[in-house]
Order: sequence, then C-alpha cells, then structure tokens
Amino acid sequence: QTAIKWRFQTYAGAALGEQVTKPIIDYINSAANGELEIELFYADQIVPTGELFQALQRGTIDGVHSDDDSMASPTPLRQFGGYFPFATKHILDVPVLFNQYGLADIWREEYAKVGVAWLSAAGQDPCNFNTKKEITSVADLDGLKLYTFPTAGRFLAQFGVVPVNIPYEDAEVAVQTGELDGMAWSGITEDYTVGWADVTDYFLTNNISGAWIGSFFANQERWAELPDHLKQLVMAAIEAGHTYRNQWYWGGEARLRAKGEKLALRTVPAAEWAEVENAAKEFWNEVAEEGEIHQKIVSIFREYNDVINQAGPPYTFG
Amino acid sequence: MSYDMIAILMFSTMMVMLLTGQRVFGAIGFVAVVAALFLWGDRGGYDLGFSAAIKVMKWYPLLTLPMFIFMGYILSESKIADDLYRMFHVWMGGVSGGLAIGTIGLMVLISAMNGLSVAGMAIGATIALPELLKRNYDKRMVTGVIQAGSSLGILVPPSVVLVLYAMIARQPVGQLWLAGVLPGLMMAGMFILYIVIRCRITPSLGPALPPEERDVGLAEKLRLLRAGLLPLVIFFSMMVPFVNGWTSLVESSAIGAIAAFLAAVLKRRMTWQVFETSVRNTLGISCMFMWIILAALAFGAVFDGLGAVKAIDNLFTERMGLSPWAILILMQLSFILMGTFLDDTAMLVIVAPLYVPLVGELGFDLVWYGVLYTITCQIAYMTPPFGYNLFLMRAMAPPEIGIGDIYRSIIPFVLVMALALATVMVFPQVALWLPEQVYGK
Amino acid sequence: MNLLRGYVRVIDRINRWIGRVVMFGIFVMMGILLWSTVSKVFFVPSLWTLEMAQFAMVAYFMLGGPYSIQMGSNVRMDLLYGEWSDRRKAQVDAFTVLFLIVYLVILLWGGWDSLMYSFQYGGERSSSVWRPYLWPIKSIMVLGIFLMLLQAISELCKDILRIRGDKIPREVV
Ligand SMILES: NC(=[NH2+])NCCC[C@H](N)C(=O)O
Ligand code: NA
Ligand code: NA
Repeated sequence: QTAIKWRFQTYAGAALGEQVTKPIIDYINSAANGELEIELFYADQIVPTGELFQALQRGTIDGVHSDDDSMASPTPLRQFGGYFPFATKHILDVPVLFNQYGLADIWREEYAKVGVAWLSAAGQDPCNFNTKKEITSVADLDGLKLYTFPTAGRFLAQFGVVPVNIPYEDAEVAVQTGELDGMAWSGITEDYTVGWADVTDYFLTNNISGAWIGSFFANQERWAELPDHLKQLVMAAIEAGHTYRNQWYWGGEARLRAKGEKLALRTVPAAEWAEVENAAKEFWNEVAEEGEIHQKIVSIFREYNDVINQAGPPYTFG
Repeated sequence: MSYDMIAILMFSTMMVMLLTGQRVFGAIGFVAVVAALFLWGDRGGYDLGFSAAIKVMKWYPLLTLPMFIFMGYILSESKIADDLYRMFHVWMGGVSGGLAIGTIGLMVLISAMNGLSVAGMAIGATIALPELLKRNYDKRMVTGVIQAGSSLGILVPPSVVLVLYAMIARQPVGQLWLAGVLPGLMMAGMFILYIVIRCRITPSLGPALPPEERDVGLAEKLRLLRAGLLPLVIFFSMMVPFVNGWTSLVESSAIGAIAAFLAAVLKRRMTWQVFETSVRNTLGISCMFMWIILAALAFGAVFDGLGAVKAIDNLFTERMGLSPWAILILMQLSFILMGTFLDDTAMLVIVAPLYVPLVGELGFDLVWYGVLYTITCQIAYMTPPFGYNLFLMRAMAPPEIGIGDIYRSIIPFVLVMALALATVMVFPQVALWLPEQVYGK
Repeated sequence: MNLLRGYVRVIDRINRWIGRVVMFGIFVMMGILLWSTVSKVFFVPSLWTLEMAQFAMVAYFMLGGPYSIQMGSNVRMDLLYGEWSDRRKAQVDAFTVLFLIVYLVILLWGGWDSLMYSFQYGGERSSSVWRPYLWPIKSIMVLGIFLMLLQAISELCKDILRIRGDKIPREVV
C-alpha cells in the first residue's frame, strides 16, 4: 500500500513553526506507520500567504495552519480568527469558546461552504507590542508603524498606529530598514523565538487580545478521502499539539517577562488602557453590524465575557 | 523517482538549457513550472509560477532595484562623471600607471552612487577606455581595470546585490552595506597595488603622461577637485537619512535617484536624449532582473518543496562529516564555479535557501557571509562564459580589443579578488568592524 | 509568411508602444516613495504608499517585459551561442523559444485562476488596512503575462522568417 502524501504549510516561519506546528506533523508521521506522510512547509515557502487559501482549495497545498485573518479567509469569519480585539483573556478561552460556546460549529459550516474542511482551533499567545520606541501611554501609539494583523490594524488605526502589511519573514529586516517601528503581533515568547527581540527594545505588557485564534484546515476532498482511523489520528495529533503549545506559551510568557534580558518591559496604567478596551466595545458593535454571522459571533463573545467577568480572577485580570 | 533524483534532474536540465543560449529566465522558469506540474499536477501545482509573482510583489526591497539602476544610467548617460575623470586624469596622470589608478578611484566614487556595476562599466568603457588607449596604455590592463573596478559597485554601498542577500538571509541591510565599505576600499587598494607593481616592472604597460598634458595650473587643478564633491553629496543624501532611521531603505533609494537626476539637470546635462536613454535602459535592465527573479523564485519553491535543502545539509554535515571551515570553503568554491555560468540573482535565489541556514548553523556571522557572497559575485561577473561585466565589455569595447584580450585581461584581477576574498575570510573584522562601530551590535 | 510578418508588425508595435509608456513608470514609483518620505517627515505616515509602490513596480516590469525582449535586454548564457552565425542563432532560438512559451502559458494559467479568484467572494482584498481590491493589479499582471506570450510568439515568427531569409534586426530600441 502506498502512502497518502500531504503538503502542509503553516503561517509560522521555521523557528516558531518548530514549536507551534511541527510537533503535530512529526507525531502524525511517526504514528501513521507509513500510511500518511505529511511534508511541512513554513511561511511563504511554497505559496505566499495571500495565495494560501486558493492553493488550499485547489489542492496545491493539502493542509494549512493559520488564522483566518492573515490567510485572508473568504468567509465572514476572517476578522475573528487571529486577535479579535479583547475577545479573549487567556489561552484556554479559545477552546472553551469553540467547544463549549458553539464557535466550532459556525467555523465548520462556513468553511464547508467554500470547499475547505475546518478541523480545529487553538489558543496561542496574547497580542502585545514590541517596539523600538518606548510606549508608556496610549498617546505614544500615535504614528507608530507596526506590523500587525489586518483586523488589529484596523482597530489600532484610531490611535494613530500605521499598520504595515508585509510577509511575516520580512518583518525583522523591515524594522532594521526603517519600514517598521515594531510589531503588535505576539506575546514575548514569539518575540524571543523568531528574533524580533534582537531588533526592538521594549515590550508593552498591555495587550489588545489575550490569545490568538489559529486553526487547522484541510482541502475538503483530501480530508474526505482519508480513512477514518487516519482522521482520528490527525485529530488526536492536533489535540496533543495544542497541549504542548499551551504549556510552551504559558511558561514562556512568564519566564521571558521575568528573566528575559533583551526587551525592557513597559506598562500603560490599567486605568488609561481602559480607553483602548472601551474602544474595542465600540469596535465590536461595528463589526456585529456587518452581517448575521458577525452578529452571532459577537454575541457569543459578549456572553462569554459576562461569564468570566462574573467569575472574577483568574478568569479576569483582577 | 526519489526527490533527490528529481532535484538533480531539475538542476542539470536547467544547465543544459542554459547552454543553448536561450534567455536565462525562460530556461529557469520552464524547468520550475514543468517540475511543479509534474510533481503536484494531480492537484493544483500549475499555480506555482504565478505565486512567485505575488512573492515578487510583496518583496518590497526590490523597489530599490529600478531606482539604483536609474541612478546609474543618469550618471553614465549625462556624463557627470566626465569631470571626475578629468580630476583623476590631471592629478594622477604623472605617475606611471597613474591613469589606471585614477580609473580605479573613479570606479570607487561611481560605486558610492549606484547599486550595480553597470554604471561603472558604462562610464569606464565610454570615458576612460578611449583615453587610456590613446595614451598607449596596455589594452589588456585597461580592460581588466575597468571590469574589476566597476564590480566594486555591488560591494561599496549602496548595493542591490546586498539588498537581495539581506532579504533572503533575513539580515539587516544597513549593517550589510556598512560591512561592504572596508572590504570594498581594501579591494580597490589591492587593485591599485597590483597596478603599481605591474607598471613598475613593465613601465610600458602604463606610460606616465607627459607634463604638458596635465599642466593646467594650480588653480584649475584645485577647481577640478570640486568634481569629487558631487558623488559625496549624492552618497550622503541617501545614506545619512537611512542610517539614522529617518527614511526607510526604499525611500532612500528614491532620494538617491532624484538626487542624481537633479545633479544632471543642474549641470545642464539632462538633454532629451540622455533622459530617454536612461529611462528606456532602466526599464530594460529592471525587466531583465525582475523576470529572472520571478522565474528563480518559482524554481526555489519547487526545489524547497523537494527537500533538497535538507538533503544537501545532510550530505555535508552528517555523511561527509566536514568541518565548518571546510564546508564554508566548499560553498565559496561552488559559488565561484556556478558564477561562471549563472546569473548572480539566480545563483542567490536558488542556492541561498540551502547555504544560508547552514552557514548560520555552523556558527558563522551572516553579515560577514553576505560580504563573502558579494565578492564571489564580483568574480562571477567577470569570469566567462557568463558574466555581466564581460558581456558589457564585449558590447562596448572598440574593435582593437578582441574577445581573447577580454578573457585574458581579467585573470590577474580575479586572482586579486580571490586574495581579497581569502583576506576577509581569515579576518572577518575587515567586514564587521564598521557595522559594529555604527550600530554597536 | 505574410501572415507572420503581419503578426510581428502588429504585436511588436503594440508592445513597443506599451513599453514606451510604461517606462516612465519609474517616475510614478519615485513620486510615491517621495510622498512617503515627505508625509512621514512632515505629517502622518501614509498607509498606502508602500503597497502602491509595490503595485507600480509589478505593473512596470510585467507590462514592460515585452518591450525589454524587443530591446534584447534579457541575458543569455553565450558560451556557445555568442560564436554562432545569425542563421544558426535563429534556428536554435526558434526551438528554444518554445520553452519560454510553455513557461508563459503555465504562468498565465495560474494567473488567470488567481484573477478569477479575486472576483469571487465579494472581491479579494489585500490584508492591509488600506484594503485595496486585488483584481486591478492582478488584471494588469495577467495582461502583462499575456502580452509577454504574444511577444514570445512574435520572436518565434521572427526566427522563422530569419531562417527563410528575411533580414530582421535582432534588437531594436
Ligand atoms: N542583482 C543582480 N543580478 N545584479 C547583477 C548586476 C550585473 C551587473 N554587473 C551590475 O552589477 O550592474
Ligand atoms: Na554601490
Ligand atoms: Na561568470
């Protein structure tokens, strides 16, 4: 029997992909006993991110790990995957929203409509800022050229941020060539892992979202052709990868803030940062207006937010 | 068929196709898209060629390419370099070999004003070459001087080749450019030294000018020195804002292009003909590069998809068990070899994904490696059968300079460059000292 | 043969004309980058400049490609080629240009698909905050590849004509 071969591309460059995607692929390759072989490619390696979705539909790429936002998903979900402003506080909020509050069903349905199998979503790191210039107040955001997610960029523009859109792997050099002042893209673990901590000086502990929402996708036909036991295996591997990643981030965020030497921490006082949080509420309203699905997702976010606010710490920041 | 076999097949097919003398981008592109179709055509696969076009579009530093090319053409077409040439002529002519030395000086200044070597070649071949021949300089010496000197264009900042390297190796352009400065000057110095020694041994190779030719009076002599200011003004108008972070790389390249343009206008050299020729040639050369990059990126994606990178990594480190230095030297040799018949961009796009990560893993500095790569490219420009400077020299040389002369003329200079390469390899500080001073890395 | 000559005349003229307009695109790029500098130094940095400059660059080299072929700007490795007679060159070129044509056809195929995609789902937009629609630039790219293909076919025609004895210059400006 000949092996089924898949080509899989992740949003992450090699250094980060090593932690967030590769463990899953390695697990599948060794446990599938030769029945399924997945080749892993990193950001833009085969297809540039902008063309990734079509390539997935066509089958040039069989599987993808990405958020909906940066891969320019042609669904109403596009704005929500990635860092939807202030929708989450901690990494575990994401699986809860998907598995307990119904986001998974919405995602599965919407992607089925465009010929793509959505498999699973996971939380990753929060969205903080790492910059060359110091940020100590909301006003300092004004005029900063930041590499960020499309939706985050749209949100941050009201504070004077100039969002810049370039390939992920080019961001580090772009700071050095002056195209960027920094990033609003990740937590501190990623900053150190991919080298951004080497080119920027400050890390802002305030975030605009507590956890990234990234998903695993497969070409619909390719997924349908997979025998059941292999589907199970792929799903199990993804879950195992989620667990590994949760720990990697949770531990990394704490350790590098406490012990990391490359980035100086800065914080905008919580009372002042509330201005940004309040702007997010307004932003949610706007986005909810855009359609039925948007409405539904935003109401799920609101519902969950109510719950954690009532529950108090550690679900909230205290 | 195993992936390794396919990779080897792709590479050798491409080489054979290049030998037929067809357009380089056609050969690379063909192998790339056909291989993609053959490998992945059962589902998709045909989109890879075009995906590369989107990559080119997103590769923002490529914007510097037309800017620096335009700058180069303005400088050569508008003859603002003539004054520079006269300056060196009068000041250096008295020494034996002095005009050749002056030509190297001219090339250094031209290099500081543009990112490629075409401008240097054009200026050297049109202004310096006829003058030198008229003064009975040895034709081989002169052809070699111009080819070698103009190749400094990619080592002395600004440099397009280093921009491309920076993008692929993910290294800071600012540091790479600064890293090229001292090796560039050192190499210029070595060229000069070679000329001096050579002319000392055989003075007939570069006879000194008779005094009446350069006796123009001290006032005039000093006035001529002012010509040297222009390159400095253009260079600093571009570099100062960039190094200080006021403008970005691509913005600086536009400032440089505009500065060169204004200089030509102010010196009243901007005729319609100069303008038209510069604009048209800029399109031609930019298209040449961009289409090669487009094709080579598709080739690189397929090559990468085959895991060729890992295979070669493996071969070098595990199976052959080579030491880091041995691997590094092998890499440089392979670059020199490839450079004899491949375009430097193609060379970079195809091989860098293989070499750069490996160099990093072996613990070498990637800024330093960028300089090594650039020097290798300079050698590649001049070594037959494929070399830009070689082509240009053949296109522009007067009839008394035959192809045999051109081929032979480069030999001593290639040796000098190899020596420079070795020097930078053994003493990385030659490259790294300046960026460390400026960026305090 | 007259058909070939007619085709060459028409295509070369169209592509030359387009190329001669597009070559001034260098000033468009310069203008955008200059505005980018000015707006950054004196006002608020612009959101659209870098992306717009990238679009201009792609349009520049894709639409200008055919004219660059006419000018003979595309390098060849001329180890053997350089020594051949014009007739020999024409013979070999008439064959090897087929590879170029295949490349361009596949490029066009991928481009067409990507262009069609950009009209779907309410129109594909760039991921930047400026969010321009992508179909305009993709249309230009596809058009450029198509013109390049027409030019490659014209080169083939010219080589056939040269083999049959027509005198056609190898490069024109
Ligand atoms: N990036 C390149 N492919 N550069 C090639 C340039 C060739 C030519 N000798 C020049 O420097 O002007
Ligand atoms: Na230069
Ligand atoms: Na060469």
